[in-house]
Amino acid sequence: MSIIKVENLEKRFGDNIILHDVSCEIERGDIVSIIGPSGSGKSTFLRAINFLSPPTAGEVYFDGERVDKKNVNEVRRKMSMVFQNFGLFSHLTALQNLCAGPMKLLGKTKEQAEEKAYELLKTVGLTERANHYPHELSGGQKQRVAIARCLAMEPEVILFDEPTSALDPTMVGEVMAVIRNLSKTGLTLLIVTHEMSFAREVSSRVFYMDEGGIYESGAPEEIFSAPQKPKTQEFIYRIRSFNYDVASVDFDSFELLSGIDAFCFSHAVDGALAKKLRLIAEELVINIVVPKFKKCSLTVSFSDKIGRYEVTVAYPGSIENALDTAEDDLAAMMIRGTATQVEHKYEDEINTLKLSL
Amino acid sequence: MTITQKTEANAIVLECEGRLDTTTAPELEAVLLPVFDTNPTVILDFKYLEYVSSAGLRVLLKGQKKAVAVGGSMTVRNVMDEIIEVFEMTGFIDVLTVERI
Ligand SMILES: Nc1ncnc2c1ncn2[C@@H]1O[C@H](COP(=O)(O)OP(=O)(O)OP(=O)(O)O)[C@@H](O)[C@H]1O
Ligand SMILES: [Mg+2]
Repeated sequence: MSIIKVENLEKRFGDNIILHDVSCEIERGDIVSIIGPSGSGKSTFLRAINFLSPPTAGEVYFDGERVDKKNVNEVRRKMSMVFQNFGLFSHLTALQNLCAGPMKLLGKTKEQAEEKAYELLKTVGLTERANHYPHELSGGQKQRVAIARCLAMEPEVILFDEPTSALDPTMVGEVMAVIRNLSKTGLTLLIVTHEMSFAREVSSRVFYMDEGGIYESGAPEEIFSAPQKPKTQEFIYRIRSFNYDVASVDFDSFELLSGIDAFCFSHAVDGALAKKLRLIAEELVINIVVPKFKKCSLTVSFSDKIGRYEVTVAYPGSIENALDTAEDDLAAMMIRGTATQVEHKYEDEINTLKLSL
Repeated sequence: MTITQKTEANAIVLECEGRLDTTTAPELEAVLLPVFDTNPTVILDFKYLEYVSSAGLRVLLKGQKKAVAVGGSMTVRNVMDEIIEVFEMTGFIDVLTVERI
């Protein structure tokens, strides 16, 4: 039996229908990533499932039982939620935050609750912070305490609403690592996220939300590598473009290369392909075009027409294919060996080299 | 890139980890070339090296030339397939002494 079953769910605010006729089943142990444009109702969907903001029509079943106003507290204990902004009690230490719920709602003694709390703090790497208050913790630490607090209630399902989006980039990794570990424990997780690489890596299924519902769903490879429906394609491909302008020979090449790395990571570009994109950009921009033409503009993008990545470098000057006239023959050789197709165009005194992969 | 120097039998081993590119090639050059003056038998272990660009290849070429000049040798071992591809497309596979993974 599915652990969560949603039938014809509708959620409206006044006349504004946000979710319309949404149905889905989530199996025990599923790791579902929920992606989609801003405003598509991802948060609304999570909040409707656990009745934080109850559906205006339709049913939600938890473990076969229909969720309603009467059993909602019991259901919420088994299906807890982790928020973007942590939601810790600020007047309680990390340890006390973890003990409050189990003592009040699960009937645990202080000793039992603390024993379990220490164990959980250890699994999220925060044993040393047990007696710290939230304001004494970094954002990443707070979110890890929030996850541990959630686990203290011994839930069967955890709903995450953008658990890393309020964090400094440096702290995203530590929180993702904790969720990644949870994903291997058999818990059922629903994760709303904008981190595409993470979604691709941890999930068993992906829901793409748009047009008032789950517009397309499938395995991560299906959604990220071969989306079938137009809006999903637009969403997955539109975001796949990276631009970098070089203004002089003294430009920051480190910034350029790490920009490409970040782009490839956040768009879940396959590892081998990412190295090729980086190689072409490095050889063409740093070793060939900039030394000779001083300036250029680089774009790395995904072309959904041909289903391939393209690297485009535009540089000013008279007509010249920089790859043919390159003095750095080693760099040119590597580019030709890596790209499957090279195209040179000249228009309005701008040369454009387009390389496909 | 991280470079770790070890001694193995009669050779000096330089384990390279990460990327050998425009930004890191000078680091390897600074370590690699002087090593031949201590011991002419040098092994570059690329087990954890993920990426090589032309700037990296140039340093390998300098190392190879230095090895010949001092009558020693430079072996590149544990090279992953993607880097072998780079060696092949540039002809470096014939210039260097390469052992695959
Ligand atoms: N309490 C509310 N009252 C009225 N409208 C609401 C309410 N909550 C959400 N909405 C509307 O519902 C729509 C969906 O919002 P929701 O927050 O679920 O989107 P989302 O997919 O989570 O977006 P994001 O990626 O920006 O978090 C939006 O148009 C929003 O304005
Ligand atoms: Mg939201």
